[in-house]
Amino acid sequence: MNKELKSFFLWRHLNKMRWLVLSLVFMMLVFLPFAHVYQTYVASFSYDLLNPSEKQLYDFMEMITSPFINDPALDLDAIKGNTWSGNFFGYKISDPLAVVGQIAAGLTIYWPFFLTAIIPIVLTIIFGRFFCGWICPATFLYELNTILSLSLQRIGIKAGKKRFDRRLKYAVLAIGLAISAFTGAVLVSMIYPPAIIGREIYFATALGGFGAGLLFFILTILFDLLVSRRGFCRYVCPGGALYSMLGRFRLFRIKRIVENCNDCAKCNAVCEFGLDPLRDKFGQECNNCTACIAVCPTDALTFNIKIVDEENQGPGHLGKAYLKNDNK
Amino acid sequence: MQRRNFLQQLIMAASTFGVASIPYAIARLSVPGSTPGYSVHLRPPGALMNELEFVKACIGCGLCGEICPPKCIEFDKREGGNAVNAPYINPENKACILCMKCTEVCPTEALTEMLREQVKMGIAQIDRAACYPWVDRGVCGACVAICPLGDKAIAFEFANMYKPYIKEEGCVGCGMCVEICPHPSLPIRIVKPGKGSVVQHTV
Repeated sequence: MNKELKSFFLWRHLNKMRWLVLSLVFMMLVFLPFAHVYQTYVASFSYDLLNPSEKQLYDFMEMITSPFINDPALDLDAIKGNTWSGNFFGYKISDPLAVVGQIAAGLTIYWPFFLTAIIPIVLTIIFGRFFCGWICPATFLYELNTILSLSLQRIGIKAGKKRFDRRLKYAVLAIGLAISAFTGAVLVSMIYPPAIIGREIYFATALGGFGAGLLFFILTILFDLLVSRRGFCRYVCPGGALYSMLGRFRLFRIKRIVENCNDCAKCNAVCEFGLDPLRDKFGQECNNCTACIAVCPTDALTFNIKIVDEENQGPGHLGKAYLKNDNK
Repeated sequence: MQRRNFLQQLIMAASTFGVASIPYAIARLSVPGSTPGYSVHLRPPGALMNELEFVKACIGCGLCGEICPPKCIEFDKREGGNAVNAPYINPENKACILCMKCTEVCPTEALTEMLREQVKMGIAQIDRAACYPWVDRGVCGACVAICPLGDKAIAFEFANMYKPYIKEEGCVGCGMCVEICPHPSLPIRIVKPGKGSVVQHTV
């Protein structure tokens, strides 16, 4: 094995970091509504009037936040919102799909709102569809769902493996924007899982009970489980379509080192989005989740700074197919 | 032959867009539309006056509700499909305290920053046939005491102690008076601005 061609050793551990980021974002989404409820109790100066369960919440939140903040009524305002649109220490950050949907609904561009999506757009142009793999709270649940489907297979329930045309999601995005423009409301967020998750968690904690979006999310979970693995993200998600188009010419992309590859195809099996790393077909759908780098036994996958994928490099040099050709 | 190809492509495109609209149909069917009655469904302070313009600008992120200190801003959980997750305030449950935090946090122009005196959520209307002091059933004055704008918006009638009346140019329609009113039939309510500050009974 050529030492210069080896993948940088840290890339293999990025997948663990990705799980950490995903779970942190999800825990944040659960924590923030509780923090808001606690803030309303603080603001109303009515500790004695709270009922016992509310007092428990108050005491618990006071216990975990008092080391970090002085005034809960004001300091907890620093981080608010969800991944659809959030307020982060005074900086407003919005999902690009929210901006595009709002432009479609209003048919005008409101520049202060457009600027809130600049950071995600620039990051997407550099890192591609990274939001889908690294931040999206629905991805966290969908990947847990994949693990569930693997354990269900042991009992005998077959996970669906249907494949559709990946271009369907661009049609979904186009239809969503058309409906938004027609009705004058941002209806794309009705079927966009991160937005649904963000508001459903808020409904469940602060407003007492899940809303109707949960039903749609459960349907997508069932679709993933029974019809197609990660099918919603692959074929339907309008946000994924937008991110894919923005990240088409991304700078950071995964590349196969053909000299190290032994054609074991573990990367193809582990790829959540059903891509084909074995034949160098990443395309615009790849979300740089680095699961294939983590699973590769011969360190044949690495990051590359280039705006297009490599051409198909043929069978790996450590594999049987290449050795056979060599002998001839 | 070419025509057949073209026809095939047309059918393919039509079926693709048909399949692509299925998720929207499912989502829309599970969330029926809502028709907010104005007196109980106020938009938050600083909202665009035109309801259609407001729905166009709102992206339904829920930040206004998440920052609201009295937690008065609510969202349609199982309805409101024609305006996804748009905020409203029901002053009978919990009224706006005009802290204007929601206008600071809103990323779009749906809620624009303004002074609390400039807000126009609606106007309070008093039913003089039900209000306790107006029908001479004792003294109250709760609405006058709670009003965050004080003398600019509501006052007692001169020489008629405890009979409240609304000043149309000053009232912003926050609904604190609706929340505090002790009368069970709620003689005070918020209506659209320009409807007058006294309930007109047509008998």
